[in-house]
Amino acid sequence: MKIELTVNGVARILEVEPEERLLDVLRERLHLTGTKEGCGEGECGACTVIMDGKTVNSCMVLAAQADGHAVTTIEGLGNRGSLHPVQKAFLEEGAVQCGFCTPGMVLSAKALLDRSPHPGKEQIAVAMSGNLCRCTGYDKILRAVERAAGEVKE
Amino acid sequence: MYYVRPETVAEVLEAGEKPGMLYLAGGTDLILKLRRQEVQARGLVDLQAVAELRRIRVEGDRLEIGAMVSFADLLNNDQVATEARALWLACRSMGAPQIRNQATLGGNLANCSPAADSLPALLVLQAQVRLLSHSGETLVPLAELLERTPLWPSGTLLAGFRLPLTGGASGFAKLGRRQALAIARLSAAVALREENGRASGVRLAFGAAGKRAFLSADLAEKLNGLVLDGGFTEVACREARKVISRALGERASAPYKREAVAGVVREALASVEFMKSGEGA
Repeated sequence: MKIELTVNGVARILEVEPEERLLDVLRERLHLTGTKEGCGEGECGACTVIMDGKTVNSCMVLAAQADGHAVTTIEGLGNRGSLHPVQKAFLEEGAVQCGFCTPGMVLSAKALLDRSPHPGKEQIAVAMSGNLCRCTGYDKILRAVERAAGEVKE
Repeated sequence: MYYVRPETVAEVLEAGEKPGMLYLAGGTDLILKLRRQEVQARGLVDLQAVAELRRIRVEGDRLEIGAMVSFADLLNNDQVATEARALWLACRSMGAPQIRNQATLGGNLANCSPAADSLPALLVLQAQVRLLSHSGETLVPLAELLERTPLWPSGTLLAGFRLPLTGGASGFAKLGRRQALAIARLSAAVALREENGRASGVRLAFGAAGKRAFLSADLAEKLNGLVLDGGFTEVACREARKVISRALGERASAPYKREAVAGVVREALASVEFMKSGEGA
């Protein structure tokens, strides 16, 4: 089947199988491998992407469901030359160890800050609760989000 | 497998009545089940484009919630937060932000996991379920629907939920292995009113204590009319143990849940607005 969606601001027309997941289409067809598959069942958040402003686990979304929607992956945020404030804060706080959870973490943080630029600690903890990290112990990640919130301030 | 996304209820019903077609709500349960081949489908009828299934609105003395309303939508709705407190609290405890953005209230019932977070809340709020088929619309009390297997004949569309706005208070608590994400080990919802210092219209429901969420008529009977003082919560906790003990029988989890239920009920009662500040808690 044919689907039309916007990925990182670029309109895409793709031929996909109805049972194909958004995660697979992003990684295998569009080669956007920043989106990771962790558990594959919606527990870990490694495959988090932003769809129409809201975070979803792309392992639980069919590509067909994303037809007509706008998807942002980690590749849509920034690059080496110009980092997104959340990415910059993650680096400055040392919030990255193995890095596998990081794209999902960064996108959850971005979605939070887009919606609510000055979140409290509790709000940050809730927003990040769907992303598991097995390395850092979370402190630095949460601090990075707080730092990014500061950066994002006008 | 094929995929269609109709925009009207009439088109949905037409597509859904073909053999082997399944309705797709948020997909957080169904997509995993399809991948694990626990469920087979010839095709999926995605309900996301049917606007009327996505609405939350007050109509007279009732709250109408469409089946495709997501947990995040419910959490962001002031009416739900005030008029259907138990449901709001259940939504808050459900999954993680990613799941709440995608999962729907209708999907939670259709999947009907023993641990479905919304069901105990909907039970104490006296939800009625709107079912649509070619023979028309039927309105079935959720408590009655949960006694049916299957819940409805194939091709039937779960359109939404009708909650009477009774002005009563309600609460919800859940025991999970961690705060976010965790599947409920046990959940309890409660609704009640205060009349001259006594409890009336008491309803208590449990989730993850047996095959499906259920309302306890026994508990309601024991608690109705009791004075709402500190003792009320103690009686509720004590009686809830008996109910859970009977519901679970010899299951491996019974010794644990029989004890744990007291804490869950205590928390559920404490989450009720007037119990929080007042005499009851």
